[in-house]
Amino acid sequence: MNRARGWRKTAYHVLLWVIALIFFAPILWIIMGAFKTTDGILAVPPQFVFVPTLDNFVDLFNRPNVLRYLGNSILMSSASVGIAIVVAFLAAYAFSRFKPRGTSFLMFMLLSIRMVPAVAVVIPVSLMYSALQWKDTYFGMIMIYAMFSIPFSVWILKGFVDGVSQRYDETALINGGSRWHIIFRVILPQVAPGLVAAFIFNLIFVWNEFLFSLILGGRDTTSIPVSFSTDLYSDGGVDWTFTASMATVYMIPPILSILFFQKYLLVGMTFGTVRGEV
Amino acid sequence: MLAVEFRNVTKKFKQVVIAQEMNLRIREGRFSVIFGAPGAGKSTLLRLITGLDKPDQGEIFLRGVDVGKVSAADRNIGYVPQSFALYPHYSVFDNIAYPLRLMGVRKQDCVPVVEQVARQLQITHLLKKKPDQCSGGEKQRVAIARGIVKDTKIFILDDPLTGLDFKLRERLFDDLRQMREDLGATFIYTTSDPLESLILAEDIHVLDAGKIVESGETDALYAHPQHVRTMELLGFPNTNVFPGTLDDGTRVASQGLRFALAASGSAAKAGDVRIAVRPQNIRINPEFRDGLLVVPADVTLVEDLGGELHVYLEVEKTPLEALIPNAGIESLTEGKATIGIQPGDLKVYSASTGQFIGQGVA
Repeated sequence: MNRARGWRKTAYHVLLWVIALIFFAPILWIIMGAFKTTDGILAVPPQFVFVPTLDNFVDLFNRPNVLRYLGNSILMSSASVGIAIVVAFLAAYAFSRFKPRGTSFLMFMLLSIRMVPAVAVVIPVSLMYSALQWKDTYFGMIMIYAMFSIPFSVWILKGFVDGVSQRYDETALINGGSRWHIIFRVILPQVAPGLVAAFIFNLIFVWNEFLFSLILGGRDTTSIPVSFSTDLYSDGGVDWTFTASMATVYMIPPILSILFFQKYLLVGMTFGTVRGEV
Repeated sequence: MLAVEFRNVTKKFKQVVIAQEMNLRIREGRFSVIFGAPGAGKSTLLRLITGLDKPDQGEIFLRGVDVGKVSAADRNIGYVPQSFALYPHYSVFDNIAYPLRLMGVRKQDCVPVVEQVARQLQITHLLKKKPDQCSGGEKQRVAIARGIVKDTKIFILDDPLTGLDFKLRERLFDDLRQMREDLGATFIYTTSDPLESLILAEDIHVLDAGKIVESGETDALYAHPQHVRTMELLGFPNTNVFPGTLDDGTRVASQGLRFALAASGSAAKAGDVRIAVRPQNIRINPEFRDGLLVVPADVTLVEDLGGELHVYLEVEKTPLEALIPNAGIESLTEGKATIGIQPGDLKVYSASTGQFIGQGVA
């Protein structure tokens, strides 16, 4: 009985590893490519044993615009998500505690907005941005990404705030605490995992966003995803060393943030309404 | 002086009346229990006192001051919530010091006050711990410590012992009574537990369906309840209450029982009444029947509580409960029996108003 169970468990783990490796293979290929020469990248069969080189990264950071692309991506994603989290947390608190008339409908609308395909929105938004002269401005890009990040964050955070008993608010109110005190000193520390989870989910979304960056952005606000399309070709072909090294650098911030906040993220993914959504 | 006074207070939530022209007078410096069944409106009453809710009509006075326009923060009330509501990100010390810190007291000035309260509740060893490192009873003590740390005259305890085991509750009963004496303040305590009310209270206010139906000192309220709900709820097990009729203002009849009424006033009118008798006042198969009203009954269930037997009966399909000493009856089993009741133990209340009309006489 135990032996059969042991076998099944081993087979299950082997299967999981095989699936994980299949999905990880392209990532491994691009990371290894970042440390190879162009010939090494294109060699058939693929080389798994090779002499690694950092030349691709030296070339990458010697390119005139790469640091700007990186800076743009970091600035736009962190600023927009930061704004979104503050707004969403306050909104989630209001929805949770004051239950304004039509809360259910508003929450439904927030989720619906998130389901509208981006291509359906991008043209009208582009026209609006042209009229407001917000195209290719940091303010305009941060605002659009914040707008996209708020609905999902409100959803996540409302679940977390709902999970904090109103008795905490009432105890604070009776003892002389203001609403701001309750929001930032009583509720916020208790929903920190939710804030981190919402921050990371949105950070990854904005970090990866391509369409709006391409249509609404421009020379000044080019982000890394768009740079793949603008700098991909050189000398009549795909610049594989640029692609591989840029992709590797591109992966570092999200991986680091996940590693750094792993503890909170795990709590965040198994708490509040996030439980059913992730 | 009155610590709390409600004058015709009405509170509605979405057209549902939660408190109906409520009048309440809580005396200062007393341990007052607001007693009522779950859903009677205890939480609403406390929310109105603390200022978390405003009345739709009527006036509320705290120590003689109309607090209609005074916020919760400015009412200066010590508060122990039902669930502990201890802040998990603060240490026990910081939790207890929390009301003082919100009043602007510096942390170093909080130390002696917090330590004194902690000593009083025997939780000094917990001060550096986080709430999640404390047991249920310890958390409750911390919550009580936080509630009483303020220098104030009114303390509200919202059913604070609910969910704790009986031994722990017993110990906390003593602590709470002692604390009220030490502080000389008014304690307002809500519960739906009749035993807790009887053990703790100096005064009891019985709340039923959003109204205070009766208030008074504990002994008097238990011995001479003037409202049928007080009689019904305040005691363990709950009092037997069943319908009857009053003929020409002098004789009462119900389910095999017939007895003369000694009316308490001149208001005894013929009509429907409610008859109440405490389970402790029902005797089963009595040896001496002189002066007793004796009726046949069916014993449907006998629960052995150790020192007592909790007996479930039926008299002409009316369920009754009796509590008798375990040693008093040998081998009581389900089946036919007779029950005896002293006429004086039968209290009669108006079916329409619930007010006391009188009691039986031989």
